[in-house]
This record gives sequence, C-alpha cells and structure tokens, in this order.
Amino acid sequence: MILCDTDRKILHRLQSNLPLVSRPFLELSKELGIDEDTIIERIKFMIEKGYVRRLAPIINTQAMGREATLAAIKVPEERIDEVSAIINGYSGVSHNYLRKGRNIHIPYNMWFTMSAKDDEELHATLKEIENRTGLTVRSLPTIKKYKIGVRFKIY
Amino acid sequence: MTTTKTEEDIDVKLIKHIQEGLPVTKTPYKDIGDALGMTEDEVIQRLKKLLDAGKIRRLAASIAHRKIGIDANAMCVWKVPRERVDEVGKIMAGFEEVTHCYERPTYPDWEYNVFTMIHGYTDAECESVIQAIKEKTGLTENVILYSEKEFKKVGVRI
Repeated sequence: MILCDTDRKILHRLQSNLPLVSRPFLELSKELGIDEDTIIERIKFMIEKGYVRRLAPIINTQAMGREATLAAIKVPEERIDEVSAIINGYSGVSHNYLRKGRNIHIPYNMWFTMSAKDDEELHATLKEIENRTGLTVRSLPTIKKYKIGVRFKIY
Repeated sequence: MTTTKTEEDIDVKLIKHIQEGLPVTKTPYKDIGDALGMTEDEVIQRLKKLLDAGKIRRLAASIAHRKIGIDANAMCVWKVPRERVDEVGKIMAGFEEVTHCYERPTYPDWEYNVFTMIHGYTDAECESVIQAIKEKTGLTENVILYSEKEFKKVGVRI
C-alpha cells in the first residue's frame, strides 16, 4: 500500500466535511490525534502526489439550478479516439468512459455525464454532438436518486 | 427562502474561487476571504448556508481512487419491475461499495432502469457485491459494464 497509517486516517476523515471553523485542521488534529502542522503537510503531499484530486466543495449540479444527464452512444471501434475527443471538448462533460458489457452485449459503448445551465442548453449540446459525430446520443437522465456519495473504504 | 440575485452572484463567485481547491493553510477561510474581500466569518456563514441548502454536497476531499488502489469500478445495470424500484433501490443503496444508485428511463433498445456504480479494490470484490445484491433482491437480469478506458474524469465545475 502506498499510503501510511497517518495518511489513511487523514484521507478517511477528509471524505466527510471539513469543519467550518477558523482553524479546521486544528479541529481535525483533536479528532485524529495528529498535530495540525502534520495534517497540513500530509494533505499537501497527497495533493501533490495526486492521491487527492482536490479538497473543495462538491457541487450539487441540480440544486445549483443546472441540469444533468448520463448519455450513451454507440461508437464504431475505429472512431473511438475521434468521438471521445469531440465529447471531452465540452466543459459540461465531467466523466467519459468506454464501457463494455461483461456478460451480455449492450447497444452502447461510450458513456458520459454532462451538465448544462438548463434543460435547453443540455439538449442543444447533445444535439450538437449528434450533428458533429453523425451518431445517435441516448440521454438517460436520473428519475430518482437512491444514493450519491462517493466515499471509499480506505484500507 | 428567497435569495436576491446579488446574494447568488456572491455565492457563485465564492464557489468559483474554491472549486479547484481550498487553500491548505491554518486559516483557509480567512485566506479565501482575503482574496475575495470578505471576512472570514462571511466565508464560513456562506459555506454553511450552501451546505444546508444542499447546493454543496460536501466540503471534502475528492480521492483519486485508482491511484490508491481502488482500481475496479463496475457500472451494473438492472431490469427492475416498476413497482419494485423503490424497495430495490433502497436495498442497493445500503451496500457500502455501491457509491451511486439511480433510476433512469428505458427505451425500446434499453430496458435496464436501475443503475448502480460499484467501486472496489478488485473486479472480484465488485462481483461479490453484485452477487449479494442479487441474493438480497431476487433480481436476475443485470449487466456489468466495466470501464475499459477512462477518457475524462473531472469534478463538476460551475
């Protein structure tokens, strides 16, 4: 394992809210029994090494008035690089993956999430992707959320 | 609660300033305030309000899970009878390894209506979770979609 016990302890705690007090890392130091300077130094180290992408607000797109969807598209094998470059070029695209069904064949292979300032912009952008690629984009917006909250078990 | 446009503008300005990362210093909120011409207390109060209103889900670390060894991520999609979606969604959400669980629409060529994202250290770990979900729900029709390539992964920005 790459991380030491101290780093794991810090990382585990940092997946929940940072205290909203003047000295949040001092507050964490009391919770974790690790001194404030060490916590700050280890967080900087983990950000620098890329284990932590960022320590920042995780935005609820819908509550901010934005619209979002999961979109799926069937891309011919030889056009995967070209089409993924087009899709990734949109700043509203936060995730884009090539996915294949392990047990059953599925009709799409490229899956991306997109948000936009409203429904109109979302659909216009999906339409634009269809026009630029000549492929059909299937939009699968959330009907109901049962869970969202990526917190990992840190071993 | 009604917020004036100006209040919202200030919130957006605050979020835009910190969405790439809070300063990792002894007094991050004071440092944000100094950069934006706000007091430390105003920064804290605004963040508190945004969290309470659910506009910010968390003020927390986003982990590069692949880098720390959580390599496997399976999107498992399920065919669930309409009247069982609520019951089944709650069961699935109860698994620690299930990080997202959503109901989504179906189409003539797409009949899977419940989506779960499962993160684990190995494919085998993801599959054992899927097996446990099947046993607990009695569902039989599902497809596991493993990511073969990650083209883009960034947090949502405004």
